[in-house]
Amino acid sequence: MQLTIERSALLKSLGHIQSVVERRNTIPILSNVKLDARDGALGLNATDMDLEIAESVGSDIAKAGASTAPAHTLYDIVRKLPDGAQVELSLDGEGNHLVLRSGRSRFNLACLPVDEFPAMSAGSYTHSFSVSAADLRGMIDRTRFAISTEETRYYLNGIHLHATTSDGVPVLRAVATDGHRLARVEVPLPDGAAGMPGIIVPRKTVAELRKLIDETGMDVSVSLSDSKIRFAFDDCVMVSKLIDGTFPDYERVIPTDNDKVLEIDAATLGKAVDRVSAISAEKSRAVKMAVEKGQVTLSANSPDAGSAVEEIEASYDASPIEIGFNSRYLLDILGQVEGDAVRLVMADASAPTVIRDVADGSAIYVLMPMRV
Amino acid sequence: MTGTIRPLPETLVNRIAAGEVVERPASAVKELVENAIDAGASRVDVTLSHGGKALIAVVDDGRGMGPDDLALAVERHCTSKLADDADLTDIRTLGFRGEALPSIGSVARLAITSRPPGADQAWRIAVEAGRVGAVEPAAHPPGTRVEVRDLFHATPARLKFLKADRTEQNHAADTIKRLAMAHPEVAFSLSDGTRTLLKAPALTGGLLDDPHAARRERLGAVLGREFATNCVTVDVDREGARLTGHAGLPTFHKATAQDQFLFVNGRPVRDRLLHGAIRGAYQDFLARDRHPVVALYLDLDPAAVDVNVHPAKTEVRFRDAALVRGLIVSGIRHALAGAGHRASTTVAAGLLGRARPEGAEDHPAPRLALGGSWRGPARPSSGALETARAWQAPPAGDTNGPGFAEASARVPDAATPSPEPQPEPDPDPADTPLGRARAQVHTTYILAETTDGLVIVDQHAAHERLVYERMKAALADGGIARQGLLLPEVVELDEAAAARLLTRADELATLGLVIEGFGPGAVVVREVPALLGQVDAAGLVRDLADELAEWGQTLALKDRMADVCGTMACHGSVRAGRRLNEAEMNALLRQMEATPHSGQCNHGRPTYVELRLADIERLFGRR
Ligand SMILES: Nc1ncnc2c1ncn2[C@@H]1O[C@H](COP(=O)(O)OP(=O)(O)OP(=O)(O)O)[C@@H](O)[C@H]1O
Ligand SMILES: [Mg+2]
Repeated sequence: MQLTIERSALLKSLGHIQSVVERRNTIPILSNVKLDARDGALGLNATDMDLEIAESVGSDIAKAGASTAPAHTLYDIVRKLPDGAQVELSLDGEGNHLVLRSGRSRFNLACLPVDEFPAMSAGSYTHSFSVSAADLRGMIDRTRFAISTEETRYYLNGIHLHATTSDGVPVLRAVATDGHRLARVEVPLPDGAAGMPGIIVPRKTVAELRKLIDETGMDVSVSLSDSKIRFAFDDCVMVSKLIDGTFPDYERVIPTDNDKVLEIDAATLGKAVDRVSAISAEKSRAVKMAVEKGQVTLSANSPDAGSAVEEIEASYDASPIEIGFNSRYLLDILGQVEGDAVRLVMADASAPTVIRDVADGSAIYVLMPMRV
Repeated sequence: MTGTIRPLPETLVNRIAAGEVVERPASAVKELVENAIDAGASRVDVTLSHGGKALIAVVDDGRGMGPDDLALAVERHCTSKLADDADLTDIRTLGFRGEALPSIGSVARLAITSRPPGADQAWRIAVEAGRVGAVEPAAHPPGTRVEVRDLFHATPARLKFLKADRTEQNHAADTIKRLAMAHPEVAFSLSDGTRTLLKAPALTGGLLDDPHAARRERLGAVLGREFATNCVTVDVDREGARLTGHAGLPTFHKATAQDQFLFVNGRPVRDRLLHGAIRGAYQDFLARDRHPVVALYLDLDPAAVDVNVHPAKTEVRFRDAALVRGLIVSGIRHALAGAGHRASTTVAAGLLGRARPEGAEDHPAPRLALGGSWRGPARPSSGALETARAWQAPPAGDTNGPGFAEASARVPDAATPSPEPQPEPDPDPADTPLGRARAQVHTTYILAETTDGLVIVDQHAAHERLVYERMKAALADGGIARQGLLLPEVVELDEAAAARLLTRADELATLGLVIEGFGPGAVVVREVPALLGQVDAAGLVRDLADELAEWGQTLALKDRMADVCGTMACHGSVRAGRRLNEAEMNALLRQMEATPHSGQCNHGRPTYVELRLADIERLFGRR
């Protein structure tokens, strides 16, 4: 193997690769990136056995060949090379070391045999469709904050994607919940996605996917089966196992007959919640909302620090209600609202509240109150 | 009219006792092998035929019995193991009731042949369904041979409940395995008359000098070689209790929790506390449906454990269950982290004393300030740099613990866009008693630099304390805030446990946990204490149920707040070995400063120690 490649192109690919590779691995080969030089391109592969990524970068190949080298070390080296540098990669005589030359630097990296590297799982997918980067980004951004980090209910540790209909219109839906709040976002159902199984995409995959989306403006091709999902970008393919579990029947926790409707400026509410909750050092920083005709009074108090109150104008006509929320949960949701106004639809102080961006019907959030 | 109450005949009394002591062939095997071990045998050979239903023969080379002892051995309540004035709080043998042999004799054909080493002949006694025969001379090498034939032939009702030969044989083998694991100095074998089913040779000289190595060897013989090469050594002590043994590497796991063993003072016991504690110790490392292999040996003052709670002596009651649980969790944690426990159990002051260079003896010993010092004088004498408690819980300001811990330690976790409370601009160390966090070591301790010294914080103990103090403050201030669950969680328990929890539902609600009954044997969790963030509600409820069973009915939960908080903090979103970033560490330090009594953990140990610069200088002989 011998090739020359532009530092920035290599760095970009290694950037994707190294974030898939786990830092501490009990299986040494999994710390390595597989390098495969042929047909004018360098292929890079990495896997943590649940998530695999394969990239291809155009490069000048003098001699085809393949090997594996420590991904984090390689990334660190390439990152520290000067901008615009050319990088030459080759194998030493026995093929035990990867030799990296650039300018006057020279590195020898211990290799592991390429045949030890786990083969990319062969794909057999039941559904394929393409979705715009913007749609995918929107689904991820507006749901990921609600993904659970608590691992006993592992089936909540990801975003649930499935095809369904909303008011008779076929949609692709993303749902995440941690049992305290829920976020549901939908986009028009892409061609080919009809009848796809309901799946759960793990959090790590979501995070890696999100980074890749930022670097492309194109459509992303998605293929999936009930155990795997594959995302294909221009020069990069990511394949992930899906969480093997059943996502709860979330529809039944989205209330439909709440009748106390509050509309309020989202930014004003967000800032006020942030201010008022500053009084409390608790991580669960509760804020209480006393809602009455035309106004909301936010309040918070802390046993040692004192108390805070702030009034905000709002549109509200129903009977007065007092309801408490975890301020961070509320802020997480308000942070998703892009339009001016947000609508909170409540029932009582112990029942789930539905929150929506008035200007955007594609997302719905449900928040369980806090009780003090 | 004559009275209708009369004493039962002796045979019947024994048979009733047998019902409790001898449930199946394996229980007889257990009693006989325990007797052999108690007799100081160096080898014990067991033969079973038809799974022990037709014959159980146990041969040992122990101290044997002379003719008089033989006659007494089969009498009820005759034992050589308790002195006249002994009390049941000081039991050092496996047997102590003098019940096993008469019980077995009442439900089987029992024959004992025995010869004390040094005696010139052997003697034999037989008992047939309760009828004791005469002691007769016999031929036998030094040691004892006990034969039990036709178990339960006298009690057909029980005979009916025995399972297939194979099943009974497996139970017996399991029993012998457990005893073999506890006693590596004794050779064990089990045969079905034609095949050797189990063979654990005695460990010889050199190995026995290293008890860990000997045990590992024995565990390898019993649990499989693979375990012996895939385990770490556990060795911790605390408050007079010592926990040793071996814990499998997280990479070596099983589908069931069957291979998790606890031995208390050499006695194999089953304790529900064990599995929960092991789950806690491994929760960072193992998938939820995989189970580690663990063999732990707890040695503690016999008075601190009641072994007389179960007819088959397989359950015990600890005086301080929290201590045992803490030992298990932290012992395994430390072993897995590869951190020498010695550092953690050595008294800090002693460590410093030893670390002083030669020729420095004439300097005064460095002074260690323990938790709480900036508020007043250091707590005297409790100077152990404590083993990290394992229920690491989150520092405040974090509800989104890392899921893929590795990934988030590396990249700023883009998956949690929650507006983290911005860390205050780095405080000037001069302004803060606990200083500025400099590093986290062994993902357990925070090192902080103060204007005139160094502070070491046990992050877990500190956090547990913070949770405790917050709960107390919230209670005093009108209640603990509760987060409602969008998806109420149904937790399956046994009926008694569910009932126990539900009778305490009101009390639990004041502590922030709202549960309701959900059919027999299940509860549904509606609300959880908000200060715990995302919490494993099911795990929390199960542990509380276990604890309630231990604490009994009368105690107010508030009196057990420290324990309840410990359990709750344990199920909070972040676990042991949690990597903290600088902002999180500083946040924890600032919270400790703001929280009264945060200098010691719920169990009275310091949550941090402080080393003044002057002391450090002394260490290096600069003063
Ligand atoms: N294999 C043996 N070698 C020597 N002595 C024995 C042996 N088995 C029993 N004995 C003697 O017989 C006595 C009675 O045994 P038994 O098992 O009935 O009671 P125990 O062991 O004292 O108490 P427990 O009922 O709790 O087992 C023992 O105390 C011991 O002195
Ligand atoms: Mg006995």
